[in-house]
Amino acid sequence: METTTLTAKQEAKEEAKQIKKMKRSETWRRTKRNKMIYLMILPGLIYFLIYKYLPMYGLIISFQEYKPYLGISGSEWVGFEHFSRLFASSEFWMIFKNTIILFGLQIFIYFPIPIIISLMLNEVRHSFFKRGVQTLIYIPHFMSWVVIVSVSYVMLTLDGGIVNAILEELGFQNINFLLNEDWFRPMYILQVIWREAGWGTIIFLAAITAVDPQLYEAARMDGANRFRQMWHITLPAIRNVIIVLLILKIGDVLELGFEHVYLLLNSSNRNVAEIFDTYVYVAGLQQGQFSYSTAVGFFKGGVGLAMVVFANWLAKRMNEEGIY
Amino acid sequence: MINRKKLKVITLLLLSLIVFAGCSSDSASSDEGGDSGGDSGSDHSFTIMANLHSPEVPDDKILEVIEDKTNKDIEIQWVPDNNYDDRLNTAFATNSLPEAVFLKNQTSFIQFRDAIEDGQFWEIGQYMDDFENLSKLKDNVLENTKVNGNLYTLYQGRPLSSQGLIYRKDWADNLGLDAPTTTDEFMEMARAFTEDDPNQSGTDDTFGLTDRSDLVYGAFKTVASWFGTPNNWGEKDGKILPEFMFDEYKDTMNFFKEMYDNGYINQDFPVTSKPDQQEFLKNGTAGMYVGSMGDVVSLNNDAVAINPDVEFDVQNKIEGPDGEFGVWSIPGYGSLVMFPKSSVKTEEDLMEILDFFDQMMTAEVANNSYWGIEGEHYEVVDGRALPSDDKALTDREVKPYMAIGIGEPETNGRFESVFDYDAKEKAEKLTKDNENYLIEDPTVSLYSETYVNDGSRLQAMITDATYNYIIGQIDEAGFDKEVEKWRSEGGDAIIEEFNASE
Repeated sequence: METTTLTAKQEAKEEAKQIKKMKRSETWRRTKRNKMIYLMILPGLIYFLIYKYLPMYGLIISFQEYKPYLGISGSEWVGFEHFSRLFASSEFWMIFKNTIILFGLQIFIYFPIPIIISLMLNEVRHSFFKRGVQTLIYIPHFMSWVVIVSVSYVMLTLDGGIVNAILEELGFQNINFLLNEDWFRPMYILQVIWREAGWGTIIFLAAITAVDPQLYEAARMDGANRFRQMWHITLPAIRNVIIVLLILKIGDVLELGFEHVYLLLNSSNRNVAEIFDTYVYVAGLQQGQFSYSTAVGFFKGGVGLAMVVFANWLAKRMNEEGIY
Repeated sequence: MINRKKLKVITLLLLSLIVFAGCSSDSASSDEGGDSGGDSGSDHSFTIMANLHSPEVPDDKILEVIEDKTNKDIEIQWVPDNNYDDRLNTAFATNSLPEAVFLKNQTSFIQFRDAIEDGQFWEIGQYMDDFENLSKLKDNVLENTKVNGNLYTLYQGRPLSSQGLIYRKDWADNLGLDAPTTTDEFMEMARAFTEDDPNQSGTDDTFGLTDRSDLVYGAFKTVASWFGTPNNWGEKDGKILPEFMFDEYKDTMNFFKEMYDNGYINQDFPVTSKPDQQEFLKNGTAGMYVGSMGDVVSLNNDAVAINPDVEFDVQNKIEGPDGEFGVWSIPGYGSLVMFPKSSVKTEEDLMEILDFFDQMMTAEVANNSYWGIEGEHYEVVDGRALPSDDKALTDREVKPYMAIGIGEPETNGRFESVFDYDAKEKAEKLTKDNENYLIEDPTVSLYSETYVNDGSRLQAMITDATYNYIIGQIDEAGFDKEVEKWRSEGGDAIIEEFNASE
């Protein structure tokens, strides 16, 4: 009895092994057969290896007291000292809060706007007008932040700016847009919308054109007006696209645009405008604290990764397709 | 089916394409405009990293002349002035500093102190006597640049203090005002220029002082020294303390606050750039400018082009409430050049580079690098240089090379400039006069490790607090709180270390 069960067990084991082996050789055979196709992803792989993975080697210095002339191999190890310094510093919560608030503005205020614009453009029947508007709202995307921030500066300054001149003319008080920290966030998100909203419509418009026109016809037969068609056909049809883009956006949680924020940053709005990116730049490159700023950047990257995983999990929970 | 050989070729091509693309975007993003220049037939080639004050990389005409005369092959990495320190730190962190590296000022020098002590740069004191011209450099200035008694840098000379007031003489005459001699008169002038219609236009279109987002080289620090504030650090009750713990610093803040609240100063000065600040003066919106008095020449040139009736004057002696006049000074040097061991491998190479700088200090080459080519960029009048009227030409071809000169006219023998403009002559005189009233920084020769590591981060807190106090976002208690924070996050250690190293 016992021997039979043993042999049965062994047999099962053998079989599993066999299957595994077969599977492996099957995979291998397929890989071999399609090697040209696999070769085609090589440039992409190499790109990611060289520019995304190799530089991660440098993260080591966040656990060291890095001195450039000693190199990574020669610098002293300090463990988590830089991380504890970050969490203990008075600035940490301020930066964390600012980053999260700007992120919230991006998700809740900026993100829906391209969708709304796409839906509205989709309803425009006059194709010349539609294309004209589309082209016009793309244009700001090609302007650099320096230009956008400078133009805002010239318009908003108290010393001869046109906005304050108009306010004064209308009998209102001057508003100190540039130095008042209450104005930083509105200014930030309005500039983001102005520059990016048009560009953001591209993918949504493409998704909308893929919707089966028969659905609209059927809906019209049933007496649905245009708003109903939009609500019950267009929106559900592009829901997948919206969710994928939302997840990607959340992945960029801490990429709020270094250049943009850094240009807007000044002595009097630092309390609301300092974010991880600007902090890393100032501490690392301007003040030469290489290890500390690497630790800050490392932490930021970790938070970003956690957010993507969370968003993806959430999407799957809601029976939607995630990105992986 | 493609054979294996072909495949290899394709892969190689792809790889090289990637690498090439990487390289090309790299060099495009870097700001080097350095040109190896004409091959002068010398095999002694090296690279200098220097800061560029003009928007464009200069023509290499002057560089070729210098290369010819010194028999060296030089490449200059031009880095725009406003991100010079970032680039310097990046080059340092990646071990890619060139053979000769200029440091912008004392602050950058302090950041490198650690690396200098570690022996990353050549000690050059021992060779100075071997070079006829380098040995002429002023001892007292060299003393200020020494680290533990050793010399690592050559300096570019600067007047100890050229700080003062530039103001609209024609406006003052219109209102019957004399040059201010006290801070009260200064305030009165700022008020009158704002409220009493100094340009007689009949509308309220002027203000007093134009300032920018710089507490040091802008107006603040100079006005602070009129009030008697120490220069960065000062002594109180036998102890060295930072300037912002002195009452005079707060008096200065209140002075600025009064100007700010009354609109005597541009309302966005904490975010105003230097070109914008100067524009207010040039276009006749503002009438007072506190900074380097020598700037009156370029300010006047541009202002007269807009309005030929503009007349500027300069003034240095403005006494504070205690009836004393003082002005902060720099330690006698502007930028410094040092030589990393990582790129200058042998003593022989170092000698070549020092030889180059030695020749840069002969009158002939010093004139070429400062004034340009005689007859083309300047004329000699009574043993002085008169720059060409074509300012665009000298700006493009000559001016940037001032950044690589070392020494000063007394030591390198270059021409002083012709005074073809009264206010400029006065500015030079007052700069000399300033030397009798200097407020020196007592910590120049002292050392504090915490200051080297955290000094600039801590200073940023005080800078922010100063602006926020002036524009009214925080009150005195709020400012004191920031000072407390400064102390607890490392300031106390700095105070202790400075006092201990005295």
